Parts: sequence; C-alpha cells; structure tokens
Amino acid sequence: MKIKVTSVYVDEQTKALRFYTEVLGLAKKTDFSQGPYRWLTVASPEEPDGIELQLALNNNPAAKAYQQAMFEQGQPAIMFYTDDVKGDYERIKARGAEFTMPPTDVTGSTITMLNDTCGNLIQLTQLVRYSR
Amino acid sequence: MTVREQYTPGPASGAQVRKDGEKWTLILVRELRHSPEKVWQAIIDPAHLREWAPFEADRSLGTIGTTAKLTTVGAPTPHVTETTVTRAEAPKLLEYKWGGFDMRWELEAFGGGTRLTLWTNIGHRFIAMGAAGWHICFDVLDHLLSGTPIGRIVGPEAMKFGWQRLNAEYAKQFGVESPSWPPQAARKE
Repeated sequence: MKIKVTSVYVDEQTKALRFYTEVLGLAKKTDFSQGPYRWLTVASPEEPDGIELQLALNNNPAAKAYQQAMFEQGQPAIMFYTDDVKGDYERIKARGAEFTMPPTDVTGSTITMLNDTCGNLIQLTQLVRYSR
Repeated sequence: MTVREQYTPGPASGAQVRKDGEKWTLILVRELRHSPEKVWQAIIDPAHLREWAPFEADRSLGTIGTTAKLTTVGAPTPHVTETTVTRAEAPKLLEYKWGGFDMRWELEAFGGGTRLTLWTNIGHRFIAMGAAGWHICFDVLDHLLSGTPIGRIVGPEAMKFGWQRLNAEYAKQFGVESPSWPPQAARKE
C-alpha cells in the first residue's frame, strides 16, 4: 500500500487547474469526466509519477463549511515541500499569487502561506538542514 | 455467449453539438420502437434507470418539484448530487439538473414509436466522451424496452464495449480533440 493521492476541495475546477499549474507550477496528471463528475489531478513535474493532488469540486455543504472555517482560522488545506522556499515565494508571487505569510522561520522549517483562490490556504515548507 | 457479451455499439450517429459561446450543448437523438408512455417510465423510474442510465435516482423523477438524489455510477469517488425536477409533462418533456448539467428530455411520437431527444450541456473537452457514453446507454435502453435487458454499461464497463472507438468517432464528427485515453503522465502545459 502506498500514499498516492490526496485531495483539496476547490470551488471551480477549471480555475483551480489554472492556478495549480500556471501559478504554482505543478503539472496536470489526469483529467477525465463521467457525467458531471470530473476527476482532475496534478503532480509535481519533479516527480511526475509521485503523489497526485486531486482538485475535487466542492459541491458538498459539509465540506464547504469545514473548508471555510479552516481558511478563516489560517489553517492550510495542503502542504508542499520545497528546497527553495524563498525562491518559490518570489516566483509564485511574481505570477500574481496572494501570500498571507511571507517566508517565516519556525521550528525545524521555513514556511510561507498563500491563497489558492479556490477556497484554500496552501503552505510551502522548506525543512532546515541541521549540521551534525 | 450471452446477449451482453455479443453487444457491440454501431458507428457514431445521431449526435450534434450546439455551441453558444463557452456553453456547449450535446444533442442526442434516438428513435425507439416503443411508445412514449413506455419510454417515459424508463427515464423517470428508479428501477428502470438502474438498468441503463449512468446515474441512479433515489425516487421517481416524474413529478415537477420533486427533489431527488442522483448518484453517478462508477465515479472514482462517491458522487451524489441533489436535483429538483423543473419540468415534467408526461410523456413528452422532462427537465432537471444532473450536477452542473442541464438535462432536457423530449419524447415525440414517431411512426408508432418514440423519437427521444436529450439536450445536455457538457464541458467541451468532454463532449465526445459524453456522446460515446450516452450512445451505449441508449443501446442498453433499447434492449431493456424490447424485453431483452443486457444490464447497465457505464463507467469502467463501457471501456469493454467499444467506448474508446465511439469517443474517437464523435470527436472527429464534432471537430474536437478528446483527451487521450488512458490518461497520460504529468506534463507541463
């Protein structure tokens, strides 16, 4: 058994695909529909066969309430790891993203947070490399 | 071999696309050798829908104002949407939404049978896929109405019955590019 897919709820899938690819820099992986259902995932171009992130349409009132509460509390819906959080911050900001937290040192890592425009905050994390 | 195993869909036909800006509507026409009353039952009754349609309904769709839950069959994660029937004029006209799609069914008496027309708006990337899926569903519906049901063929089952060929044929007819199947690996776009 492997961890292969995780998902975020988004308010609009086409808009989400644009944000997660063109702004964030991920790549579309799978996109098909069955009736009004659309299975849409993205993956990291650095790891095309790695973990997929499903961009799931949030048409579920219970999930909407949860998503909104998490957003209002400043809790990220998903976390990405990077080797260059400051560089990513600059690159993604230059593409028009709204950051709610600039790169900030916390215990064990440097984190930054941005609005995905689809109802979520997302966090980028760079682990601190301790020298022994 | 059973009737189901022998089933192969015919060539793509009876479908057209109407483009209204960003909104594309798929129009499917099928002539059935059965009365409008009989076809009407098949499109409103949960027990009938279960035999051929790509969704299940938790109650009859035959009355205006009815609120029903529609479950997409075979979706990769459970997918249930609530709908309200906005028009129901037996045995002629039925309208409701399936998720974000408008669904308009028209039944027209025709040479002792019924000309069934479905209007449904589908994102244009997926319009050939939708036409291919409904093509197979309508074949299964025809078998059901003729008293020789072969069982619903939707979702992954459709792949075993020529869905890919129909998808390609409809994409060609509509002049659209359908997403490749099976899905390709991640790529930068």
